Amino acid sequence: MKPERWHWPVLAATVAALAIPLITQDSYIIQLLNIAILNTVVVLGLNFVTGWTGQINFGQAAFYGLGAYTTAIAAKSGLPWITTPFLSVIVVIVASLALGLPTMRLRTYYLAMTTIGFGEIIRLIIVHWEPVTGGTSGLRAIPGISILGIGPEGQAQHYYLLLATLALAMLVAARIRHSVLGRAMIATRDSEIAAEQSGVDTARTKLIAFMIGAVYAGLAGCLYASSIRFISPDSFSSTQAILLMTMLIVGGMGSIAGCVFGAVALTILPEALRFLGQWYLVLYGLGVIAVIVLAPGGLASLASQFPMRRAGVR
Amino acid sequence: MTPAPIITARGVTRRFGGLVALDSIDLDVPTGIVQAIIGPNGSGKTTLLNALSGASHADAGSIRIRDHEIFRLKPHRIAQLGLARTFQNIRIFENLSVLENVKVAAACNKPMSFFGILASNAQHRHSEANIDVIAREALETVGLVHRADDRATQLPYAQRRLLEIARALASKPNVLLLDEPAAGMNMTESMTLLDTIAKLKNRGITILLVEHNVRLVMGISDRVTVLDFGKKIAEGTPSDVQRNPLVIEAYLGRRHRHA
Amino acid sequence: MGQLVVNGLALGSIYALVALGLLLIFNTVQIVNFAQGQLLMLGAFIGISCAVTHELPMAAAWAVTMAAMALVGVVFMVLVYFPLRGRPAFLVILTTIAMGIVLENLALIIWGPLPVSLPSPVSGPPLRFAGVVVSMHQLFIFATLAVILFLQFVFLTKTRFGILMQATAQDLHTARLVGIPVKRTIAVAFALGTMLSGIAGLLVAPIFLAEPTMGGSLGLKGFVVSVIGGFGNLPGAVIGGLFLGLIETFGARYISSNFRDAYAFIVMITVLIVWPRGLFGEKSSEKV
Repeated sequence: MKPERWHWPVLAATVAALAIPLITQDSYIIQLLNIAILNTVVVLGLNFVTGWTGQINFGQAAFYGLGAYTTAIAAKSGLPWITTPFLSVIVVIVASLALGLPTMRLRTYYLAMTTIGFGEIIRLIIVHWEPVTGGTSGLRAIPGISILGIGPEGQAQHYYLLLATLALAMLVAARIRHSVLGRAMIATRDSEIAAEQSGVDTARTKLIAFMIGAVYAGLAGCLYASSIRFISPDSFSSTQAILLMTMLIVGGMGSIAGCVFGAVALTILPEALRFLGQWYLVLYGLGVIAVIVLAPGGLASLASQFPMRRAGVR
Repeated sequence: MTPAPIITARGVTRRFGGLVALDSIDLDVPTGIVQAIIGPNGSGKTTLLNALSGASHADAGSIRIRDHEIFRLKPHRIAQLGLARTFQNIRIFENLSVLENVKVAAACNKPMSFFGILASNAQHRHSEANIDVIAREALETVGLVHRADDRATQLPYAQRRLLEIARALASKPNVLLLDEPAAGMNMTESMTLLDTIAKLKNRGITILLVEHNVRLVMGISDRVTVLDFGKKIAEGTPSDVQRNPLVIEAYLGRRHRHA
Repeated sequence: MGQLVVNGLALGSIYALVALGLLLIFNTVQIVNFAQGQLLMLGAFIGISCAVTHELPMAAAWAVTMAAMALVGVVFMVLVYFPLRGRPAFLVILTTIAMGIVLENLALIIWGPLPVSLPSPVSGPPLRFAGVVVSMHQLFIFATLAVILFLQFVFLTKTRFGILMQATAQDLHTARLVGIPVKRTIAVAFALGTMLSGIAGLLVAPIFLAEPTMGGSLGLKGFVVSVIGGFGNLPGAVIGGLFLGLIETFGARYISSNFRDAYAFIVMITVLIVWPRGLFGEKSSEKV
């Protein structure tokens, strides 16, 4: 098999990623990377909905939160860990249908507002349902991953597990991209009318994209609760939803590699720039505007040949 | 003797506020021919095409493809029943390659198994291979197969039109609606288009053509329908229609009468 | 219960003002400004800086705030509208949201996170009748809304420039071709729209106190009101605003005050499902 052009950078990145826990023992950094990996999965989910199908979705953080809280509540109430991913997925699928079905015909501004509203309602429920969700203080001491009594211990082991999960998420995304579903999603975004005339049920495609995106976020939430072991409503607010959207944009909407780049960069950046204090968000906002105005294809568009090569690859 | 109609439309009406864009139009399109719909600007040609393809539903009337009533059906259902169309202002999928553009339509009427996609099992790979074959065939027909892996946006204008036709073909239609396919084309490109249309007709596809280019219309059509102000004012062979005084008046305007 | 009506209408008037500012901009340049709430917050704080920190008389504070907001509006236009002309709406949404984040955090840096109070420009004993208490400030709110509606109507329909603005709103390209100073009308739209939000901020702060994070929910409610009234429809926005104010007040009292903010969204989603064009709207459909 002849190596394609993109194989080398991917190989290098994989080796580098695998080597990180060997280079640094700082558990703070590794935990940060773990969060970055989880964010990447969520952004990959968002990519289906917004990047490929073109549906604005500011509700992704809400699905993230629903997954995390479902897992936390279930695990803390004594259910075996293995049930939690399934429960989280069921909850987010129901929620995504509740959001997706009524909003299928909405466009742009209305869709943006409705998804923001959805996120807010979920957050309010979480904050005010104190006996179950712990309210604003959140939930601590969440049981960790444990299948048949075995589970990862320490940040480094979690890191490898999450990395494997990310790899799987990316693989699934790539599979979908090069299938009927992926093409239908992108066609729906590029020209809904032409897609319809070509036999694509765009309403169903949008709903499916929505659900897949929610499932990604829900599973990421489950893993977040199980590895970070502490959750609060702040991690899933509308500010987070906006942050996730900007990760997608900065990475370059539609590109799987871009999602990784955007999510990792924008998870690490606020920590690296912590000394800026409140100014970080000001500069961040200005930075987002700058990217939108100057590099609308996202920073991953700088490697613009990259995604096309993949499309041509069999 | 004209063959049985593949499209039967009765009383198709469409209003936009106070404006009557289509006024109770009846239309029969015999199977296997090339029929052109012509008329001055604003006569309702594209509105009629939109009603037929489901892109913009008519307010009243009946539209049948063979025995299926398609009035007010969603466009993707109509496409699955064998009607494909191209657009006046080209609508290709800019974020897909040329081949992928056509593949979207090639998947028409093929079942999609989500599990198959995830597991990449034999059924899925077989289906993808099938789609690939259909798509490449369609590109061959319009002469674009050498650009299959290019980004759709890299195609020049005339080739984008051909891409739209290839895409429409990939859904294996019985009826093909072409909305001003020659717009913006030069002489050579129009001739290529003419050949392509003839090729399609030979395959048994019925073609309904909305077009301004009179030479193209007269050169390729078996039958012409003329609209004016949303009403059908003439119908027949190209030469009949060309000589029809109502048609001449519609195109040149009322003042011609007083001249 | 009459008291709830009064309170609801007062709250609703403020929502209506936010919506009016939003729609003024939207009608002219087809941009929904997701930072409208933060602009409201800015107006409130500029007012507080003038009246409280620098102890200017209220009338002067109001005047300075309104002028400052007009200026902010023009700056906003330069930073957001011009670079993004013609870009997909999605990117405009993100940009205005980002502007909102910038404004909110600048406010946190300058004024700190603690809620601050702003006195009302009017004082005096409240009106009492039929078992209902109407504070002077609430009367002032109603009066302000009425005055603004009147001025807006006169401006848009009776003055030359107002008519030019309507023309620009209806068809920007033709307006330009016909020689209308389009840049100027857009600038005025941004200035006035921002000023309206600033006024809303000056009206809200005496009731609910001002803090830098107040913009988010108020801005969103402005959108919800616009949707309820039918996007683009000014009288609809006013009715929608009053309607939402009533719903929120009654809902907080009879259902739950914890979910106060959620009522707006629930109403909006319901309206969108049943009347996709809003209660009064008739916005465009997709062209084929």
